Amino acid sequence: MEDKSKLIGFTCAYTPLALIDAAGFVPYRILPMGDWPDQAGQILHENLCPHIKRILDRAMQDDIPDLSGIVFMNSCDAMRRLSDAWQKVRPNDNTVLIDLPISKDDRSVSFFADELNRFAERLSQWGGNDIRPEGVENSIGRYNELAIHLNELKKRVNLGTLKDGSTRLQAIYNKAVTEPIENVLELIKQIAGEPDVIADNALPIYIFGNVLPDPEVFTLFESCGARIVGEDLCTGSRMINVIEIENNDKSLDGFKGLARATLSRPACARTIDPSNPGKMIHDVVEKAKASNARGVIGHIIKFCDPYLARLPSVREALKKEGLSFLLLEGDCTMRSIGQHKTRIEAFIEMLR
Amino acid sequence: MYYLGIDIGSLTCDAVLIDDNEKILASSVVPTGARNHEAITRATDEVLRSACISEKEVTATVSTGYGRKRVEGRLTAVTEITCHARGIKALLPGTHLLIDIGGQDSKAIELDENGQVVDFAMNDKCAAGTGRFLDAMARALQVDIDVMSELDNGAHGDLTISSMCTVFAESEVVSLIAEGVKVNEIVHGLNRSIASRTLSLIKRIIPDIIGFPIAMSGGVARNSGVVRAISNALENKVAIPPMPDTVGALGAALIARERYSHN
Amino acid sequence: MLQYFENLESGINNAIKENPESASARKRYTIEIARLGKRLYSDTDRKAWAGALVPFDLLNTMGVTSCYAEFMASVLVSTDIGMELLENAEQTGYASDTCGYHRAIIGAAHKCLMPIPEFLISTTSPCTGGQAVLENLARLFKRDLFVIHIPQDESDQSVNFLADQIEDMVEFVANHTGSPLDKNKQCKAIENTNKAREVMSDVYNLAKQVPSPANGRDLSNFGIVMPLFFGTEAAVEIAQFYRDEFKSRINANNSGVPGESLRLMWLQNRIQFKNTLVKMLESEYKAAIVIDELNDITWDPIDPNDPYVGLARRSISSPLHGTAKRRIKHIIELAEAYRIDGAINPCHWGCRQGTGARGLIDSSMKEIGVPVLNLEVDCVDRGNFAEGQLITRIEAFMEMIESHPSPWKK
Repeated sequence: MEDKSKLIGFTCAYTPLALIDAAGFVPYRILPMGDWPDQAGQILHENLCPHIKRILDRAMQDDIPDLSGIVFMNSCDAMRRLSDAWQKVRPNDNTVLIDLPISKDDRSVSFFADELNRFAERLSQWGGNDIRPEGVENSIGRYNELAIHLNELKKRVNLGTLKDGSTRLQAIYNKAVTEPIENVLELIKQIAGEPDVIADNALPIYIFGNVLPDPEVFTLFESCGARIVGEDLCTGSRMINVIEIENNDKSLDGFKGLARATLSRPACARTIDPSNPGKMIHDVVEKAKASNARGVIGHIIKFCDPYLARLPSVREALKKEGLSFLLLEGDCTMRSIGQHKTRIEAFIEMLR
Repeated sequence: MYYLGIDIGSLTCDAVLIDDNEKILASSVVPTGARNHEAITRATDEVLRSACISEKEVTATVSTGYGRKRVEGRLTAVTEITCHARGIKALLPGTHLLIDIGGQDSKAIELDENGQVVDFAMNDKCAAGTGRFLDAMARALQVDIDVMSELDNGAHGDLTISSMCTVFAESEVVSLIAEGVKVNEIVHGLNRSIASRTLSLIKRIIPDIIGFPIAMSGGVARNSGVVRAISNALENKVAIPPMPDTVGALGAALIARERYSHN
Repeated sequence: MLQYFENLESGINNAIKENPESASARKRYTIEIARLGKRLYSDTDRKAWAGALVPFDLLNTMGVTSCYAEFMASVLVSTDIGMELLENAEQTGYASDTCGYHRAIIGAAHKCLMPIPEFLISTTSPCTGGQAVLENLARLFKRDLFVIHIPQDESDQSVNFLADQIEDMVEFVANHTGSPLDKNKQCKAIENTNKAREVMSDVYNLAKQVPSPANGRDLSNFGIVMPLFFGTEAAVEIAQFYRDEFKSRINANNSGVPGESLRLMWLQNRIQFKNTLVKMLESEYKAAIVIDELNDITWDPIDPNDPYVGLARRSISSPLHGTAKRRIKHIIELAEAYRIDGAINPCHWGCRQGTGARGLIDSSMKEIGVPVLNLEVDCVDRGNFAEGQLITRIEAFMEMIESHPSPWKK
């Protein structure tokens, strides 16, 4: 690839980054950052989640680097509308909407594998390399290496032995989805060399939810006396995790394994396990307990239907386990979380 | 022949009397208060007294505003959108976008070359940015609302008020005062926030307003600070007609004349 | 609620008995809805809750009485207990930011006012919120859940994926009922569906006449509710009543709205509780709602012997599903076919799927010279219904379109 952008834009944590990497591109997540005027509502409607609205606002302000293309995942209503609006706001962009099944049964895996094949063809049309099975395997390996290093870093953050741990970890997650892997690995290696600090007596908190990309938010949590010992956010650990390909899925093109692994990854509330309705609720409780958290913070952006629908049951389930729960509703900005500072402090005080 | 237009709004009840040549003979603005009928009677009496006309001499009346169906003996009731458009067509012909910010609602009205309404957007679920909002802010700043319009002189900062809910914005203003932020910067910030909100309303109907002849009506049009802020946000001059709060009532009177003649 | 449906049915039957000439198509359609309601609340029928795009033809054929959550919600909120159910949902922690249809169902479920199903079948379309509600209900009722993913596009790959899922669904239902799908009954059911389709097409075509035989109430919720009866003879009969009624109105030179002077399209959602808006449009402006966005046949007849692909195409083609681009193309086609003067878009509170496309629809319709009135309204929660404000907007809109002839009249 010469004289063209190496970036492929994406917006959803379910995006198969390894495929983009295998095509020779660098995935670039359009994070809902920046403080642009609120204009997305004019193109769509005000009552859509601030995640997609802020992404659209960036597009309308041309605050997007040069992209060879952008991929949208059919993960929820808001993402579908974002895909629609993008084509109006940036009609010259190469765009594709990839269907994302709701569950991970065999039929869905096969269908999704075909979708990944379609995506691969599109990447090729946009100037990427032809994707071969070994290329997919190689890229999975690169992302797995990144995931493993991130996991090591997370352990230190959870233990409180890394200075400004959760803030820096979030900054690294952001970097991992906007820059080449090599840059991030280099940074992680530097940090890994830092000596441990003595953990303070901050209160261990588990946080779950969706979109919270601003590292300063984690500084705020820490300044309120919390230590994040476990996290399940789509701008955090859900973004990058180890992909294991099952033997049965090792296919000629490499897509089936990636399809199943993507559908099996730590899930956003939009994903359903029909054999276990409400699995997401169960997962929140189990992960909170496994992290030895004293309390749970849920951060949900406004108008996110998959999470709003499950919150009452999450609250009830946590209560049964004796875990206190604080819900923060935000708009992806530091400002909206800042308004919650008193509540966060009160929550921590309550738990001490 | 004489034609009367009455605009019964949430805060004020306005009346305008015109003759057959569309000349404005008199106008009045009275507080609406809790009793519409009394306000309608007061506004009507005042305008007739000013013009030395008796009620019997009024040929036709058109009413508008939220209380428009409470005017007895009217020829018809017409919405304030249509009336404001008609009024601004008479006062500032060629206007393509009319911004009306009243006591507790705001509107953006797109007009064609004939002054007919082509599209409109309203926000009447929330008083943010309206007359009531500014009254609350003036109280928080302990200044007179009439004085407030010039208070942003000399302010250049980027301060914006993040809360647009009237109640929370008032808290925010009080906090800013406590932090020592100058009053002119706060007023400037308020004006910019109103302008930003108004721009969002406008862009729902006209995404690209460059070059559009724009006018503003409603009580808030008398606030030069807000008008300046809106003008800056739109990167466009905003024309203000004389007596901007009676544009709706004037439009109603003109429609009374047109419809009576047509019938 | 059983009593409600019984009263509804008997009330209409009595009215027809007293005055046979009042036996309108709408009344007959409402009787069928009442009968469905009775079966849902009876102890006799096998019941299921399903997503709106599930092929009810097959469920009907397999002896399962079913409906989708939004249908039941719209019935519930038109009763006296509607507000209570919404409040109840919020008290259980369900955010008021969410769609009222779903809040009403959750409220009803917690108050034990929902018939407990034997199983549930959810669909990813029309919306994520609807999918989530069915998962919640499956958990609450401790019932098995089958999930259908409806792909976004109409490629062969997507259609086949959906067709396979529908076949799996049939197996799921058979496992729960103990009876497989009888092929002969399936054939007959699909023939009924195709027949209903044909007659409904006739009805919609008749409504295109100028003036239209349709008024704002005749076909309200028609296109979205009729799929509940697909596969049955009742669907064919209802459609035939409408066709006959419209034909006779046309023959007698009677328009649906006497003196029709303006023609309107209604987008997606009707307001489900009693209100005066449609009546006001008709009486004050002689404006007829001649077409609803959802009142259209967007699918081809289905092969009775091998229905799955046809059923899959039908679900994918629904105006409730798919990209905004396709939806807007459909709306514009309807605007042209029905020669409408304006469209009313009730931007239902909490609706991301439909209302989310407001700006895109608006700008596209503006390009062809058809104005759209966006009404910020909650179609289900009358507590959020500010009638005065809505009337002002409607009146202003009508004043506007009265002075601007539609592109078809120029």
